[in-house]
Amino acid sequence: MSALIAASVISTCLGDGPQTFAALLRGESGAGLLRHSGPERLGVHAGYHIGGDDPDRPFRAGELLAGCLRAAVRESGLDPRTARAVVLVGTGLRELSAVEHWATGGPVFPDRRLHFGDVVRQVLPAARDVVTISNACSAGGHALALAQDMVELGEADVVIACGTDTMTRSMLAMIGRVAPVPTTRVRPFDQDRQGVLLGEAAAAVVVVPEDWTGPVRGRVAATGLSCDAHHETAPDIEGIGRAIRNAYERAGHTVSDVDLVVAHGTGTALNDPAESEALRKAVAGAGPGPLITAVKGAVGHTSGSAALVNVDVALRCLDTGAVPPVVGLRTVLPEGHGLRFVRDRPVRTPVRLAQVNSFGFGGVNAVTLLEAA
Amino acid sequence: MSTLTEPVAAVGWAVHLPGPPLGEFLAEGFEEPPGDWAYEEAAGPARAATVLGRKGLLAKEPATRTALCAVHRALGLPAGARPDQPLDPGTAVVVASNLGNVATVAAVSRTVATEGGAAVSVLDAPNVSSNVIASSIALWFRFGGPNLMVCSGDRAGADALRLAGLLLRAGRADRVVVVGVEPDDEVAAALHGAGRYGPPLRGGAACLVLRSAANRVPAGVCVEPAPAQWPVPPRLLIGPGGLDLRGHGDLGGARHVVSLALAAHLAADDGHRAVGVSDDEMSLLVTATVARRAR
Repeated sequence: MSALIAASVISTCLGDGPQTFAALLRGESGAGLLRHSGPERLGVHAGYHIGGDDPDRPFRAGELLAGCLRAAVRESGLDPRTARAVVLVGTGLRELSAVEHWATGGPVFPDRRLHFGDVVRQVLPAARDVVTISNACSAGGHALALAQDMVELGEADVVIACGTDTMTRSMLAMIGRVAPVPTTRVRPFDQDRQGVLLGEAAAAVVVVPEDWTGPVRGRVAATGLSCDAHHETAPDIEGIGRAIRNAYERAGHTVSDVDLVVAHGTGTALNDPAESEALRKAVAGAGPGPLITAVKGAVGHTSGSAALVNVDVALRCLDTGAVPPVVGLRTVLPEGHGLRFVRDRPVRTPVRLAQVNSFGFGGVNAVTLLEAA
Repeated sequence: MSTLTEPVAAVGWAVHLPGPPLGEFLAEGFEEPPGDWAYEEAAGPARAATVLGRKGLLAKEPATRTALCAVHRALGLPAGARPDQPLDPGTAVVVASNLGNVATVAAVSRTVATEGGAAVSVLDAPNVSSNVIASSIALWFRFGGPNLMVCSGDRAGADALRLAGLLLRAGRADRVVVVGVEPDDEVAAALHGAGRYGPPLRGGAACLVLRSAANRVPAGVCVEPAPAQWPVPPRLLIGPGGLDLRGHGDLGGARHVVSLALAAHLAADDGHRAVGVSDDEMSLLVTATVARRAR
């Protein structure tokens, strides 16, 4: 079983989907100074911001989401006034920055603004259901998994899997607290990586059944899900491996079929070795193994959007046969030796099957397999 | 639309509402008094160790503790004993909650503002992420299946039940632990009360352990979309027009899961056989497949 992707729209610090992909191919990074007030208090000095907006202004996650959702509806050809779509919004931090704004002197607000029901209904007033799924840094991947399930089982004709996140001061403070020195940029899979930085982003992916007659961007073969149930914040090779195996089982593919992995690659001390080891175990004995790229050096860790940003990049790789390099990677970490990271410049190669990784706090893993339609 | 598209079986359930027991409230609602379960004290977050055992509760937020208590009781585990089980990849967790970690987020941001980020505790790192309750349940009970945190406001519980049914239908799990939980701290209460008229936030949790009812309905209760001819046959209805839990306080995102767990108690434990749960968001019929107490 599978489902089609009618539209995929992202917004990152590097721009929309085409702009982000073009910048990735050029090896550019959107890292800049953290624009939140008091970066020295937070212990975080850099970030990947969208536009020139004041990042301390609350409810920006909803604004980013609305923009992507509107564009995705338009691209898929749905009528925004009448579309009875189910909308699943994956997010790591919801609108918790508004809680922080209130806690430090801003106005109180109704708790319904913590989630994205009202925002989505302003764009799609006829939406059947709007569910906010707060699954940390793999929320978008979980939304995509459930979207495919609903479409395959006939529970909905159209499901829009979304992701959105800005930054909270509490999460920034935790990142600052654990970084030995302030991180200047994300360097996925590099032996000298310094840790993670957050990126603002939103995404919307329109998932439809195989008999869809509108535009098609690609096919989602399956998403495998697992929970490590191992540690509160540290990743687990076994748990990641279960999500990878689950994806291939559900898709009816074998790992030797995969041409490209768009990795999670957060540039943290723990993720990158664990992800490398899990990939090595998954593809061991399966020929030369897939190419591996990762985008967080260029767009930051976009949390609830991260999986769907990776999906958009993977769809463009399937479409163009161009695979961007891992921005920020200079020297591959020891655990990554033997894996085929794309380095320094793009690789041109036919991509038929792509794997997208996303892993979140609490060991929540989502691994998606995408094919050309 | 309906919360569930197909029947599911509930093989375990617990309502865990610290504070005044539900029993007296229920006894006012209908003629026959409820069973002992409704009068059992539900340990508050500060006393969660009496249910969960002493180890591992440090830095667990009140909502996480309350949720763990509800799961512990729904699984029928002995009080004070931490489960020692191997990882179970076939069990999924779906949690509905809106306000679980808002107190921690507010407190950490205040600390940053007054003392700087160096003063925040790394023990709070998991708690600034909204999915901490769902992932903590997985870690505590070693549930390795899909893990979802649903934060969609007052209908979060209905959404969680729907997604639990979806996980079963899609073959992603053979057992789903569904939890609804809200805290009742000052930060949560202030956000909940902002611009809202109605009863104040009531903290608490409920849990249902769901399995597929596609082949053989296991002993417990069957939960199915309400029939068109409502309410035949339920003798009891939970929701507006029947026993309205809002008289006991506003349970926020936990309400639908609490209502359903309560219906399971009444249908199976108290021998009412069939109980309806109905409001604007969901309409379900709960039928006992085993009566624990004959009536």
